[in-house]
Amino acid sequence: MIELISSVFALYGERWDWFLGLLREHFLLSGQAILLSGAIGLLLGVWISQHPRLAPAVMGVCNVLYTIPAISLLGILIPFTGIGNRTAVTALTIYGIMPMVRNTYVGLTTLDRDILEAARGMGGTELQTLLRIKLPLAAGVILAGVRNMVVMTVSVAGIASFVGAGGLGVSIYRGITIYNPAMTAAGSILIAALAVLLDLLLARLEQYFKKRGS
Amino acid sequence: MNPAIEFHRVQKSFGSQPVLRDFSLSVEQGAFLTVIGRSGCGKTTALRLVNALIAPDGGRVLVKGRDAAQADPAALRRGIGYTIQNVGLFPHMTVEKNIAYVPALSKSPLWKGEERRRRAAELLESVGLEPALAGRYPRELSGGQRQRVGIARALAAQPDILLMDEPFGAVDEITRRQLQDEILRIHQERGITILFVTHDIEEALRLGTQVLVMEEGRAAQLDAPSALMARPATPFAAQLVRRSRDFSPRR
Repeated sequence: MIELISSVFALYGERWDWFLGLLREHFLLSGQAILLSGAIGLLLGVWISQHPRLAPAVMGVCNVLYTIPAISLLGILIPFTGIGNRTAVTALTIYGIMPMVRNTYVGLTTLDRDILEAARGMGGTELQTLLRIKLPLAAGVILAGVRNMVVMTVSVAGIASFVGAGGLGVSIYRGITIYNPAMTAAGSILIAALAVLLDLLLARLEQYFKKRGS
Repeated sequence: MNPAIEFHRVQKSFGSQPVLRDFSLSVEQGAFLTVIGRSGCGKTTALRLVNALIAPDGGRVLVKGRDAAQADPAALRRGIGYTIQNVGLFPHMTVEKNIAYVPALSKSPLWKGEERRRRAAELLESVGLEPALAGRYPRELSGGQRQRVGIARALAAQPDILLMDEPFGAVDEITRRQLQDEILRIHQERGITILFVTHDIEEALRLGTQVLVMEEGRAAQLDAPSALMARPATPFAAQLVRRSRDFSPRR
């Protein structure tokens, strides 16, 4: 074990520029998916909260997509989006939509009824009420969904190299194929570190909104 | 002069449950009408028809002579103050921003920056609060203070009609007394029309220039407080009045 850890650090020392490149690629790859699923999920969540009749259907579809194993989702996408980053981003986006839709919907539909009654009674349009009252008050719950989605996306992006995408998965995959556990561990540790770092940053933001909304 | 609010033979049901049956009422401008009745008698429903939060199934509701169901709901509601029992202050906004909410919705140029602070302070004073509270959040206020902020918020856009749905139902006796005094003063100073729903007969008699007794979705009796006390028209009204004999109504 100690041996493994020391060889991981030896590897970082020798090939730091390669790992840095992979880390950067990994960040960009998951960042694209995070932005896409964040935007799509938020819009879908807002939309079904305004049309609650559609909610079970939309949530059902998202749930089903969410339960497909990551590796098979990547495989299924290859005929449509080919090999490489595009497939990875598409798969990660599909995955990330579910927690975003769910939290946005729950956040917007469990707001205090008196607050909504007051907001309506004072003459806000649907859009004004959404932007000034509902979304700010649901922000804590929505951000919890964002956190969930970001951590998941960053870690699932680790297997994107199986369809020829870049990122830290490359080091994991190479470690496996040339039987070099240190290389696999080196990639995994960086993924975990990136996920934890982003999670901590978002936790602080979430805390701010929770405090404000109480 | 048009009445401030008119109900013409209004019908309203929720599902198969009729709530208002052939309900007619005319509220003069400047009146302080208190509405009293049992739970489920339709008093809250009548109130929410005025600012078009719900629409009548039959009949018409006229606000200042115009059909509420035909009006643009946002514009209609901005011209009508509205307060509810649990106030519904916005927890993520300071007291000042809460008060400035309706002017902000209509992007009123009178409520910008320094002006906003001055006007909010003025309103806070007029509901008996320290202007220093402007920067606080609702969670830092007591129940009575919240209710006062709710009234200030309802008055911000200078509406000529104020709808109040059991606004003092959730505060203690002494605070309720003070709030009643404030609303009487506000009514006298501003000369606005107030529609005030309550289930407390003492409150209804103390505040109203007119008291409406509602029974099962109908207007059972509409009278000045002293007339209601002297001549209750139905057994229910008599029962209400008997309980408040030792109480002096507004003259």
